[in-house]
Amino acid sequence: MNGFTYHEPTTWPAAQDLIAREPDATMLAGGTAFTLLLRQGLIRPTTVVSLRRISGANRILADSHGGLWIGAMATHSTVVRSPEVRRNWPEFADAAATVATLRIRNQATIGGSVAHADPASDVPVMLAALDAQVIVRKPNAAPRVPIDQLFIDTFTTSLAPGEFIESIQIAGRGPNTRAVYLKYTPRSVDDYATVSVAARAEVEEGRLRAPRIFLGAVGGRPMRAMSVEAALGDGTEARAFADAAALVRSDIDPIDDVRGSAEYKREMARVFVERALRTLVA
Amino acid sequence: MKLSHSSTVSAPAERVWSVVMNVPTAARCVPGVAAVDPFGPDKYKGSLLVQIGPVRLVLDGEIVIVSRDDGTHKAAFRADAKDTRLGGTVRATIDVALKDVASGCEMRIDGDVQIAGRIGEFGQPVIQRKSDQLLAQFAQCLGRTATG
Repeated sequence: MNGFTYHEPTTWPAAQDLIAREPDATMLAGGTAFTLLLRQGLIRPTTVVSLRRISGANRILADSHGGLWIGAMATHSTVVRSPEVRRNWPEFADAAATVATLRIRNQATIGGSVAHADPASDVPVMLAALDAQVIVRKPNAAPRVPIDQLFIDTFTTSLAPGEFIESIQIAGRGPNTRAVYLKYTPRSVDDYATVSVAARAEVEEGRLRAPRIFLGAVGGRPMRAMSVEAALGDGTEARAFADAAALVRSDIDPIDDVRGSAEYKREMARVFVERALRTLVA
Repeated sequence: MKLSHSSTVSAPAERVWSVVMNVPTAARCVPGVAAVDPFGPDKYKGSLLVQIGPVRLVLDGEIVIVSRDDGTHKAAFRADAKDTRLGGTVRATIDVALKDVASGCEMRIDGDVQIAGRIGEFGQPVIQRKSDQLLAQFAQCLGRTATG
């Protein structure tokens, strides 16, 4: 391993000043991906800015409408245990609980997972389905970016050098809002997904409206099932789900790898989208 | 790792061929390529910067035209490059074939890429996806250059 200069600012403005001075610095959140890349010799940072000592950066708050504000440095385990998350978006806590192992969940952060943009990660897919907004810190501004616009490609986000994630917001739900995250891991439970599906919709009397469906591990970013959403339209009944789910094959772009062939993943995507839809109305 | 890409360019094969076989010009169509200069008959030196998220590869190496047939518009290239900072080598053979069709010409690129050293740790799926993107962008740019 090579040496690098290491900073631990304690406030967001201090972190921002450091990044402004050293735009090539590597940002460190929980460090699970960083450590792997460093050990493999794939990155050779000269300056590392850790966000771990920033006051309040791991906080999770709920507003009066049931919306959540999740600090970038909140770990997956913090989300899983958070009373605020459990009360308002228990499905998000369930999705965070599917990540790898307890040791990883205790270390890996929500902001780090989003910034790393691994298309096989769980949390980014669920956040995309929940239409989360990312609060970005950049010089003289703090724009809110819809999370599905943040993801560009494998390990690539729209964040420019000098920009980083401060928090993630999920708006509150309506009385009929349902959501689900399904992860297919045929090799071992702590593996990355072969295919994952996150879906949310409004459900009334068994009919589904305003569906929002994303898939993980089947493209360079969380892939939106546009054709499925379009086919479902408004007020769809469960008997139409199978036909709609079959359209997912054209919405995704999987590749052959150790978790299965591209064709196998397309077929599993169809199966799991249909299951997700049935779970929403169950 | 095998790669293949085919696309239709709205220019006659003869015209596209002259762009493809001018290696410094064609190389400008690969995103991330720095200057490519000749250093012998059918031999060129250059470097390619590839950024995949936090990982930045700087591949320095050479491209050799192994064979060319100006009549049938087929050529074979060999590229050898290494990243001395991270440690790793990339070796590729690339076959290019052009064929006139009604709307212009069809360009087919077949590559066989071998990756050794640390770069290989990154995982073939990621490298495959990136290579496919580079090839697609290369083909699009060649089309624009040949018709422009």
